[in-house]
Amino acid sequence: MRENQTTVNTVKQIKQNSEKASLRKEKISLKSRCIASYHKFLKSRQLLILFLPGLIFYLLFRYAPMYGILIAFKKYSPFLGVSKSPWIGLGNFKNFFNSPDFFMLFRNTLLIGFYNLLWNFPAPVIFAIILNESRIQKLKKGVQTVSYLPSFLSTVIVCSMAIDFLSPSGGVINRIIQFFGGKPIYFMIKPEWFRTVYVATGMWSGTGTSSIVYLAALTNIDPQLYEAGRVDGCGRLRSIWHITIPSILPTVITMLILNVGSIINVGYEKILILYNAATYSTADVFSTYVYRRGLQGGNFGLGTAVDLFNSVIALILLVLTNAISRKLTETSLW
Amino acid sequence: MVKSMLKRFTTLDYVITIILLGLGFVFLYPVYYTIIVSFSDTYNITAGNVKFWPLGFNVLAYKQILSNNRVPLAYWNTILYTAVGVMVNLSMTALTAYPLSRKNMWGRSFFMKMITFTMFFSGGMIPMFLLVSSLGMLNTIWSIVLPNAIWTYQMLIVRSFYMSIPESLHESANIDGASEFRIFLQIMVPLSKPAFATVGLFFFMGHWNNYLAPLIYLKDPAKYPLQVVLRQMLINDDTANYNLAIPDNLTPEAMKNATIVVSMIPVMLIYPFAQKYFVKGMMLGAVKG
Repeated sequence: MRENQTTVNTVKQIKQNSEKASLRKEKISLKSRCIASYHKFLKSRQLLILFLPGLIFYLLFRYAPMYGILIAFKKYSPFLGVSKSPWIGLGNFKNFFNSPDFFMLFRNTLLIGFYNLLWNFPAPVIFAIILNESRIQKLKKGVQTVSYLPSFLSTVIVCSMAIDFLSPSGGVINRIIQFFGGKPIYFMIKPEWFRTVYVATGMWSGTGTSSIVYLAALTNIDPQLYEAGRVDGCGRLRSIWHITIPSILPTVITMLILNVGSIINVGYEKILILYNAATYSTADVFSTYVYRRGLQGGNFGLGTAVDLFNSVIALILLVLTNAISRKLTETSLW
Repeated sequence: MVKSMLKRFTTLDYVITIILLGLGFVFLYPVYYTIIVSFSDTYNITAGNVKFWPLGFNVLAYKQILSNNRVPLAYWNTILYTAVGVMVNLSMTALTAYPLSRKNMWGRSFFMKMITFTMFFSGGMIPMFLLVSSLGMLNTIWSIVLPNAIWTYQMLIVRSFYMSIPESLHESANIDGASEFRIFLQIMVPLSKPAFATVGLFFFMGHWNNYLAPLIYLKDPAKYPLQVVLRQMLINDDTANYNLAIPDNLTPEAMKNATIVVSMIPVMLIYPFAQKYFVKGMMLGAVKG
């Protein structure tokens, strides 16, 4: 999500540059452009030498693996390698679409993404507003500081804490349930609880960090607005509703669009730790399937096909939300 | 002053204060709980008595994880991977960001497009694995460090930092006859300390907390970093297999939590100082409201 934001800026720059270039194109002939380009090349050769390691990195570790996608259309054999393995066309895709796993993975990926958005998108907005309303500066600063703490912890540690807290034997949550006369719940092996656990751990570890953007937007609100509101007899709750929320709405909408665009990019690092055979029916998503069945199970062709399918869907979704956002608001990635 | 403040305190203020105190507790308690469990004894952990302070205080869990080689070795591996990783990240990021920040670079907009595209589409997990394996890097530190030597997002942050440096500085150095290499090494690199601190923090956190890449690329348990060892303790619950002689008065839970605590130490140490850079890093890419 953060990546998308700088991309907004970069992409805009690229656009401007290419527009300038196209204006120039009309005036200068092709030949003189080639000469100019050659001179520019000579002039910036030192810069290009500096850039060389980066270029090699991008070609080798970002573009070369794209060639490897070919094995999605092949019957991959480790002895023959990527280029010599026999073609099987869409065989891997057919197998995948016809297997019962396909529908389950599709549903799980979408639902986990959807519930995550539903809960973890509003949480930092509300948190930022509550923080902003606090009149005890020390408390505000303290809670803000503490709220960043979870994002400094690794996925493994966060999951470990969640598993400890949810343990049916002596976990804090189950002790509370028992205190109120309930029966202990086996959270980690009940498929119906998985999404809740996923969303809740995400809320604990992400809310503080995500609220930073909104807190910045809140500090930009003109205090005179609140004063004017007070003069007009506006209470605190009403000024939150009529001043605070409208003021940060543009930021909120931009973030929402970015989030919707990446709804399918489910955080599978966390799922790989939290799920187990008992909860596959709700927890298994495309990327965990690629890891488990593809990489660990040695079905490289199938795994790559599933991964490709997932990336293409994600890319389409991003382009779509971007187009919609450009129509509705002025924010877009390109 | 306190009195006058309390007078103006409305019901809403009390509600907000209580909510914030509650939230602060929720953010902090799991970390605190992990620490106190690691110092408590078996009886109290299994009975679920540990709530707000360690019961039956002891350091057996720490003695146990230090008594065999597994955790100390993993700790050393983590330090090694993080140190090498951050160095590689920083140098590759600066080397790539600087030329891309110069307006007179040949092919700049093409290279930018080429790089931006990789943010939206990638080869995926398996082609990457095949590549790393065909380069002969499997089971070495390079399989973790090199495939992610540049984080595009962080590189773009550093690039926009370089673009914010006044052109005149560059021109004057040029007039004095400095080559691009010299300008880069002697002017730009020393100037970019604040930018390095910000992205460096994210590199540090990324490497220290990384478990997926080592899990995919490393096969030899002696090379596992801390996070992978922790994951094994957590998922497979294989503490028993590795430490055949767990004393009767020690639970795997205390050992796991002790391992978590030692793994958190460096993060907790830098946390108070790093916060500033952390917030800055989060804000750099943020959209203007």
